[in-house]
Amino acid sequence: MKNGRRAHRPGHRLSSHPVKKTIAIVEDEPALRENYAALLARHGYGVKTYANRKGALQAFGTHLPDLAIIDIALEDEAEGGFDLCRELRAMSAEIPIIFLTARDSELDAVSGLRLGADDFLTKDVSMPHLAARVAALFRRIDALRRPHTASEVLRRGALSIDAERMQTTWKGTPVTLSLTEFWIVHALARNPGHVKNRQQLMDAANVVLDDNTITSHVKRIRRKFIEIDPGFDAIQTVYGMGYRFVE
Amino acid sequence: MSIRHQLLLIALTTLILPWAGCKYARELDAAQRRAQENALAASAETISHALASEPARVFRDLDDRSPFDAARGDQYVFALHNEPLIDGYREDWDLAAPATALPSAEGYAARLLLGTEGRFLYLYMEVEDARTVAQPPVIGPTTLDFTRVDLVTEHPDGTRDAFFFASGAPGPLPAQVLVRGESGGVHFVSEARIQGFWLQTATGYQLEARIPWSLLGARLWIEAHAGDARRAGFEPEDDAPGGRLFMATPGLSTLLATFVRPGTRATVLDANALRLGVAGTLESGGRGAETRSASWYDRFLSVDSTHWPLEVSAADRMQGAAIRAALRGHTSAEWLRAAGGGSVLLAAAPLQIGGEPRGAVVLEQGGNPLLEARDQALSHLFNLTLLGTALAVVFAFAVAASIGVTIGRLRLAADSAIGPDGRIRLSMPESQRSDEIGALARAFERLLQRLNEHTLYLRSLGGKLSHEMRTPLTIVRSSIDNLEFSTLAAEQRGYLLRARDGTARLQFILTALGAAARVEEAIKQAERVPLDLCALLDSAVAGYRAAFPGATFILERPENECPMRGAPELLVQLLDKLIENAVDFCPPGGTITVRLERLGSQYELSVANDGPPLPPAIKDRLFESLFEHRSGREDKPHFGLGLYIVRLIAEFHGGRVGAADRVDGTGVVFSVRLPLI
Repeated sequence: MKNGRRAHRPGHRLSSHPVKKTIAIVEDEPALRENYAALLARHGYGVKTYANRKGALQAFGTHLPDLAIIDIALEDEAEGGFDLCRELRAMSAEIPIIFLTARDSELDAVSGLRLGADDFLTKDVSMPHLAARVAALFRRIDALRRPHTASEVLRRGALSIDAERMQTTWKGTPVTLSLTEFWIVHALARNPGHVKNRQQLMDAANVVLDDNTITSHVKRIRRKFIEIDPGFDAIQTVYGMGYRFVE
Repeated sequence: MSIRHQLLLIALTTLILPWAGCKYARELDAAQRRAQENALAASAETISHALASEPARVFRDLDDRSPFDAARGDQYVFALHNEPLIDGYREDWDLAAPATALPSAEGYAARLLLGTEGRFLYLYMEVEDARTVAQPPVIGPTTLDFTRVDLVTEHPDGTRDAFFFASGAPGPLPAQVLVRGESGGVHFVSEARIQGFWLQTATGYQLEARIPWSLLGARLWIEAHAGDARRAGFEPEDDAPGGRLFMATPGLSTLLATFVRPGTRATVLDANALRLGVAGTLESGGRGAETRSASWYDRFLSVDSTHWPLEVSAADRMQGAAIRAALRGHTSAEWLRAAGGGSVLLAAAPLQIGGEPRGAVVLEQGGNPLLEARDQALSHLFNLTLLGTALAVVFAFAVAASIGVTIGRLRLAADSAIGPDGRIRLSMPESQRSDEIGALARAFERLLQRLNEHTLYLRSLGGKLSHEMRTPLTIVRSSIDNLEFSTLAAEQRGYLLRARDGTARLQFILTALGAAARVEEAIKQAERVPLDLCALLDSAVAGYRAAFPGATFILERPENECPMRGAPELLVQLLDKLIENAVDFCPPGGTITVRLERLGSQYELSVANDGPPLPPAIKDRLFESLFEHRSGREDKPHFGLGLYIVRLIAEFHGGRVGAADRVDGTGVVFSVRLPLI
């Protein structure tokens, strides 16, 4: 609890785990699968790899992993990952799910997140960034299991951010944000009034994204806040420069 | 040659049909006429042979071979069909022939006509003599100066008798004979057997008389005398031929009638071409000029008869080439134009007696009525074919015009199928037609479809490439990431660093390649909201000043707000691409001018930079996808997508893009026109 601030520092490497967490990687490309497996194993996780939805689902039936990384297109199923996500979410409401895919359309991202995934990553993501996300998600799971302490909460007007649990509320109502979205909001809210350019936001969110993707992330974030509060105008665009949070 | 001219030519070739029909008709016509000629000539020869076996029934005097000499007073005596009344008029003679003028040294005009019926010779004379001198009651032997007609006949034994008719009171009068008395005196005695009728007319007199053959010899001289010394006619001369009477052979016509078919007229001529006998009547089957309307195209249709000789035969004799040939011994036939219109076929065969042509048998026949009927049918056919040709020409012209217009429309559509903005229109006019033009239009549509697919493929190629290469690139990069955790020598670390650097560049390239696809994606999601273009520009240009310190930025914009409806992120991206482009070509320390102007209902946003002018050849293609022709700075990859993205965003806002050199050649200006709403 005391060193909860570390949670929002990207690239943080975990040193040890009391219990070895298991991660399921569902990816039909063998080389990628093995590379991800090697990376995560090096970080001290137990890794199970599956090439298709059927194999993964069978294994999940007997033993649920602590986190799942799923590709959307699985062998002959173009949307196999979505189906798997839905089925997995049906088995467990808490398990963190990350989509990791070559598809980068807005529609895919929205669909994936709507199915209850915690993050939607394109394969541009670097290995250290991926590791950071996995760590962050596990940390959140841990934080959620511990009793809640209000001292870790960052407050900016109606906005409050619990960095440890990665929970955001606006005017007291929780806002469901993906991991990337959470990090963007967090980066903006830490220094209100300061313009964050796209590069800074990418660094904060541990991603490499192009302008349009950043723009759509910000739009998506705004939309989520506006759903709660139609008058929401705290995240502003500074054309040609970036974005800023205004209290 | 245009299509309509070609079709017109084709249509005109249908004129061959009437032409061929006419040619065929004329040949058929000629053949039938020849057949008719041959048949008639054969009939004439048959009759001629039959008559030649009975010469006595043909000639009154077989041994008389003397030629007819009108100058010496030879006369033809017409056969009359009934006995005329002796009344001074010739109307009841029922004879078409005119009276023959008698020769006169003094210009005394007298005309004579002779005829025979039964036992009598009939005489008719017209004399123009207004001043008739009556016969004196008593005349001296030397005073014969009164108006009279002398008749002198010579008997076979050489003796001669003379009669005369003298004018007195008009009315019936007998002939008189001059009798020399024993005392040497002369007195007149009436010859009651010879009856005449004297009729006074306005110009002279007419005399009709009946003379029994029994009083006449073989020769007869007739002369008209005036009260003065004038006279006209013939005087008997001693030891000279002349005054002979030629006439039809009695019974010959009856004989001839047994040979003659209906509608045919047969005539036997003697060597002088005088008629010896006639049988049958000519049917007026010849085409009458009044029964058919002469059309200009008649000459195409029927045998040209205008060069045929006119039928000119007189009542006493026949003329013409066929007659002359027959009298010389050759059978021949000839077409003649009848005087009353229509045609007559005349065939003449020589009458050979003892191997010597002594006359001719002539058959006359009217033109074949069948031929006339056929001519009329042909005429109808000709009319119909002409009508057909006219219809064909009109139809061909209509079709040609329609095809021409259709093809013209197709050509226009093909010309404008690719619009100025590079968009391809997929539908062609006329593609619903079921003919070859429709097929052509559909072929065009398929071609355009293929072209469109190809264009769309090219447009999406960047996105596809970037997508497809992402996985292998990720494999490489994740492998390198993993490799970094291995224990590596310093040398290997150097290689690893280069490999990482290479993948980073590759990633940048892929991201750039997929940019257009992502903009298209963004456009699909974009919403247009009210915004202030001026504020947007202020903010953006401030950002550029910070981002590109090497160039000087000037912003020229209207003082007040510039409201419009648009997607601000996209507009900024549009501006980004224009600025990136300008920075690329702007020399260090150069100036980039961003200008916003309001032009009526739209804004013109332009970004101008110092630098080289545009290559003239590619001005039109600058805004196309994957088109990059200009070499800017070398440190960044170019795929020609930046300006394409500008175009995509401008079009999303209903705007247009353009590029031009500065007038003074110091740089280029890229402009975007955006409607306010």
